[in-house]
Amino acid sequence: MWRTKKEEVSSISTFLYNLRQGFANIWRNKMFSLASMATMAACIFLLGVFYSIGSNFNQMVHDAEEGVAVTVFFEEGISDKKIEAIGRAIGKRDEVARYEFISAEEAWEDYKDIYFEGNEKAAENFKNDNPLADSANYQIYLADVSEQSDLVSYLEKLDGVREVHKSEVAARTLTDFNSLLTYISVGVIIILIAVAIFLISNTVTVGISVRRKEIAIMKFIGATDRFVRAPFVVEGVVIGLVGSIIPLVLLYFVYNAILQYVYDRFTSLNSMVSFIPADQIFHVLVPVSLILGVGIGYIGSRVTLKRHLKV
Amino acid sequence: MIELRHVTKKYEEGIHAVNDISLHILPGEFVFIVGDSGSGKSTLIKLLLKELEPTSGRVFVNGKDIGLISHRQIPKFRRNVGVVFQNFRLLEDRNVYENVAFALRVVEAPRSRIKKRVPLMLSLVGLAAKYRSLPKQLSGGEQQRVAIARALINEPKILLADEPTGNLDAANAWEIMKLLEEINQKGTTVVVVTHNMDIVRAMNKRVITIQKGTVVEDKKGRGEFNQYISV
Repeated sequence: MWRTKKEEVSSISTFLYNLRQGFANIWRNKMFSLASMATMAACIFLLGVFYSIGSNFNQMVHDAEEGVAVTVFFEEGISDKKIEAIGRAIGKRDEVARYEFISAEEAWEDYKDIYFEGNEKAAENFKNDNPLADSANYQIYLADVSEQSDLVSYLEKLDGVREVHKSEVAARTLTDFNSLLTYISVGVIIILIAVAIFLISNTVTVGISVRRKEIAIMKFIGATDRFVRAPFVVEGVVIGLVGSIIPLVLLYFVYNAILQYVYDRFTSLNSMVSFIPADQIFHVLVPVSLILGVGIGYIGSRVTLKRHLKV
Repeated sequence: MIELRHVTKKYEEGIHAVNDISLHILPGEFVFIVGDSGSGKSTLIKLLLKELEPTSGRVFVNGKDIGLISHRQIPKFRRNVGVVFQNFRLLEDRNVYENVAFALRVVEAPRSRIKKRVPLMLSLVGLAAKYRSLPKQLSGGEQQRVAIARALINEPKILLADEPTGNLDAANAWEIMKLLEEINQKGTTVVVVTHNMDIVRAMNKRVITIQKGTVVEDKKGRGEFNQYISV
């Protein structure tokens, strides 16, 4: 149904009135509001800390995963065309991050560099007779090491493949570590959200019990549930919003300061591990925290109010 | 205007607060409901406001069977029934103007209507000069006037007053009753629950007496206001 201009004006003025009342409620119940904001801020801060640590660990595990390769050796006398076909088949697999062809000559050069270091003359004896003549191979790097065994069984069935080398211990350790990290992250995040909802709901309950008389008066005068609810919802959402913006700002500076400190103080670490830049972390953390803050504030106030509206 | 048909309200403890009451109040009437404490008067008001559901029987207000009104429709129903309580029930942190305007905001009235209606209503109850005062800065009688202004601002057809003079001294009680009489003369049906028999006798209105949840007497008044009887 179309709304008349008069109705629109009155709903705008009602909206503004409820907005003003929501802010007035926050001011009137300064202590409760502050307690709620602090609770929310603490939860979002912890969430942010955990997310930052978790993401960086994940990144490190991912870096380590990329170093784990599967090597595919070919049958004797295989044609170049067949090697190319095997390469194409590998390239089509989703779990493969990248792969490279190592010719027998390259394999021998690598071997020489490692095992004949300082004894290059001995290696010269093999000049015209490459002992690794059948060692041409594909080095395959996986996107996710947990899928290593699937890939290996696929590769073993490929025509022209003689042998597939894999590092099972490294793959399993990384996979286990990754799952452990995921379980802990999910567990801690669920606990933090539950704690936040519980505490916000408690704070709103205390706030409402103070204003129970006001709610009863509103209901006797003929206020709809929506009208009664609106200022409380505004209050909850504003508390949630402020309670998530404060820790986000704090986290941004703390995170950058820590990264700077680690890079300056532990320069040797720079070549071994790479940390995720703050922008990348906050690209996810900002929307998630804001949605959580506003969502918890909204749901907390709505659910708590529901019990007090049956007058 | 108001009709109760064999209405019974039994609380969970098995107490009959209202026991098979039938009565009929016509548009424009001024009716007192009297009785001792615990006789069922306040339960009757709660039934008329749909704050309580009857155990049996039917309640009609403004021609509607309020038993058929859903939870969502209650606000709209209550806007047509003004209500005044013994303890005024004002919002302590808002001034007189805001307390009265609140009833218009609740019905989502436009600002222009609020600006026009509130001063008019405050003049009617004699509080135009005190529109910026907080409830705690007013006397009991003045607070009850604010409550009456708030109850009437949406122009309800019925005004229910539950012990409106219960917290007032004799002079203030008298002023409030005169105000209710004026409101009634302008066409609003007024139902006053009280146990102040001096006022009831002085007003010469219809009196329904309740005892132990049952109507024991329904006496028509002469209608004229006897202001010489001391209260």
